[in-house]
Amino acid sequence: MLQFLIRRLLWAVFLFLAATLITYVIFYVVPADPAKQMCGRACTQEDVARVAHHLGLDRPVYEQYGRYLWQLVGHQSLGTSYTTRQEVNHIIAQTAPVTASLVFGGAFFWLLLSIPVGILSALRARSIGDRAAMVFVLVGVSAHPVWIGLILSYFLGYRLHVTPIAGYCDFFNPSLGSDCGGPVQWAYHMILPWMTFMLLFAALYVRLIRANVMETMTEDYVRTARAKGASEHRVLSQHVLRNSMLPIVTILGMDIGLALGGAIFTESVFSLPGLGRQVLQSYSNFDLPVILGVVVFSTICIIIFNLVVDVLYAVLDPRIRLE
Amino acid sequence: MRIRTLLPVVLAALGALLLVVSVFAGAGSAKAAAGKAGAFKKGGTLKIAISEGDFSNVDPGIAYEVTPWSMMWATQVLLVNYPEKTGTEGSKLYPEGAEAFPTISKDGKTYVFKVRKGLRFSDGTPVTAAAYKRALERNLSPEMGSPLGVNVQLHKLIVGGEAFLDGKTKVLSGVAAKGQVLTVKLTKADPTFVSIMAMQWFGAVKPDTPYTDKGLTIYPSAGPYYIKAHDVGRSLVLARNPYYKGSRPANPDQIVFTANTDQAQTFLQVKNGDFDYDAGAGSPPTEYEGLGATYGINKSRFFVGPITCVFYVAMNTSRAPFSNLNVRKGFEWAIDRPALLRLGGKYAGKRTDQILVPGVPGFKDFRLYAIKGADPAKAKQIAGNVSGTVLVRHSTSIANTNRAQILEYNLKQMGFATKDLPVPGGVYYPQLQVKGVDFDTAFAGWCADYNDPFDFINVLLDGRTIQENNNVNFAYYDNAGLNKQMDAAAAQFGDARAAAYSKLDFDIMTKHAPWAPWYIPNQRMFVSARVKNFIFSSYYTEPAYNAMAIAG
Repeated sequence: MLQFLIRRLLWAVFLFLAATLITYVIFYVVPADPAKQMCGRACTQEDVARVAHHLGLDRPVYEQYGRYLWQLVGHQSLGTSYTTRQEVNHIIAQTAPVTASLVFGGAFFWLLLSIPVGILSALRARSIGDRAAMVFVLVGVSAHPVWIGLILSYFLGYRLHVTPIAGYCDFFNPSLGSDCGGPVQWAYHMILPWMTFMLLFAALYVRLIRANVMETMTEDYVRTARAKGASEHRVLSQHVLRNSMLPIVTILGMDIGLALGGAIFTESVFSLPGLGRQVLQSYSNFDLPVILGVVVFSTICIIIFNLVVDVLYAVLDPRIRLE
Repeated sequence: MRIRTLLPVVLAALGALLLVVSVFAGAGSAKAAAGKAGAFKKGGTLKIAISEGDFSNVDPGIAYEVTPWSMMWATQVLLVNYPEKTGTEGSKLYPEGAEAFPTISKDGKTYVFKVRKGLRFSDGTPVTAAAYKRALERNLSPEMGSPLGVNVQLHKLIVGGEAFLDGKTKVLSGVAAKGQVLTVKLTKADPTFVSIMAMQWFGAVKPDTPYTDKGLTIYPSAGPYYIKAHDVGRSLVLARNPYYKGSRPANPDQIVFTANTDQAQTFLQVKNGDFDYDAGAGSPPTEYEGLGATYGINKSRFFVGPITCVFYVAMNTSRAPFSNLNVRKGFEWAIDRPALLRLGGKYAGKRTDQILVPGVPGFKDFRLYAIKGADPAKAKQIAGNVSGTVLVRHSTSIANTNRAQILEYNLKQMGFATKDLPVPGGVYYPQLQVKGVDFDTAFAGWCADYNDPFDFINVLLDGRTIQENNNVNFAYYDNAGLNKQMDAAAAQFGDARAAAYSKLDFDIMTKHAPWAPWYIPNQRMFVSARVKNFIFSSYYTEPAYNAMAIAG
């Protein structure tokens, strides 16, 4: 186990360096100049150079990257936004919980929907229910989350006033001037974002669970269990479900890790101040420190969740050794 | 689990979900019905959304965008300011923090402002001349990081500015503050100085306000409001300044800005009354026609007003074919201004064929060229026989891509072949600012930093400012005679200045024609049903938030 962890950590460091280096290089290929943007429209070249020096942009790219890594490793600092001049650590700390509430809440609901529907679909293959589930899968996979979000907010929010149209309320400490806050308002404002976010994943997971359950049902050990007189309930719960859920655990970890990087579409439609929306804003302002900060955070999330999934997999399946 | 027990469990789960939704639906606040029309009163919370954007910074020493400036208009006391009035009345400066317009020495180099007594910051501290001195210092201090004063060349204009900016001195020697008297010494006479002081960079700040390259998020203000709370990237709250005794309106109890909302959703929320106004991207352009038909223009909820900007097609005068004056003049007749304007949607703006815009001193509506539509016959007559390929540079936005097609058609009618050059929006201007960039025509626009014709004509067309990079003279036009004429106009004051620039505007367009100006944009604004007393500023391109009242 220890060897496994060490190997994975080393691999994580490599992944982290690769991700940040690629982002840095891509940014510098783009012919934009943050110094010029910050300086203003009628600045002379001298003035732009002054700003560039202040921001450290007049140094070679490799030196800037080196300084960035040193800042990150030595001081745990992701730098300062070119646009707002706020600490990127603070920006990530503010936006990450919003994305987390969308992703984890969405994950909860997509599992709540997809597991029973997927199982039922597999057990009643080619029934009306199964076909209805597959239509749902088709719609969920085909319809863009932006479209789904806009339709839901228009009808449920604007027309029927059942939910808010958009917006976010803090769970713990509402902003001054905000007329909403606390767990009830927070959840109320998250209903539509969760529904939008979960639909695509629920559709995919229904299909995946259905396929896994159907495949596991044909395994030899399931046939043996039935032959030995086990009840259908026991066959399902002890043999089929446990084995068919293993791949779901793997994919769930990956999906959550990826989604934490920014559920951009859902956050945009519902004006959620999360990582996805933040990175969109930062991209249009060529705000490299914030873009890099989100990349770093996403990379770390993906690495951690993959690690957790691997360890969990070994726990769930005693046949697997972490070697 | 048996199949027969599974289905009820699923149905129960779905039922539980529906129950949860209905509980929250009940917990949701009821949408208020539209308020009754009628006189407004003070009070309430004004809710402003900033769709697709945010305050990049709210520190007056750093902020340089419309969104923070229009917010700061409600919080700042400037020496001279624009009043909360619509139309051209709103573009006329009046002394706000100063008792009167400054006394100017005979050589035009010394300005003396007497700061009004009785003004107080939101923490009760009196406003003195030192408050304005501090604003100037913060604007030029190298410790602020990208000091903004260089944009208007303040470091060269104020005595001691360059040494201060370079960090050689800690004191801005050309500015003195004694009691209520502020004295500013300039290196040369500059009639734009008073207009420049109307920029939001120069509002009163407490003399002990620190230098910080991060920018202050909250600070005491002397205007009708102050920033009570600021959650960067999320929200900003203005509260009434309890010590403000001036004549400017302060109608809402507080003004709450919510940043980074979605444009389409915010439009629905304004319709619904969840927000009162969108100060960001505004309503989707496809909605304007319907809004105008439903609410009328400037009557109840939908307002349209021109902003102090001009959009034009820059002709690259540094090379053929537009190095030829007759070709440029011919192009003024060839360009189809109405067709270009139609692509902006309903109420997009007003056609123009000159540089200055209404509200800027010196503007006179000349009607020089093809305002009502292209006249290709006249264009050909003036330009003569033309040939060759014109490179049409434009951004990749849908509107500009379509506009480029119109332009190319117009150029073909003149006899040119054309080549289309789309450039991503994020790098469009940075590339255009490089001397020698490859183009023959390029779409461009300019909005006033301050309401003086210098900021349009001299800044954009003085050939001596052309450098290797970071140019704003996109026509790359350099004419010695015109440069002298610009210098002469810049040295004038008052009515003589306006008259000189009016003539300059006319002369540039008739004798030089480096641009084909084509429209003055409108700001199209939609408010919630409860908003009253909507006053739009063409300079700030936003309404006066402190004047907006909530019907009750």
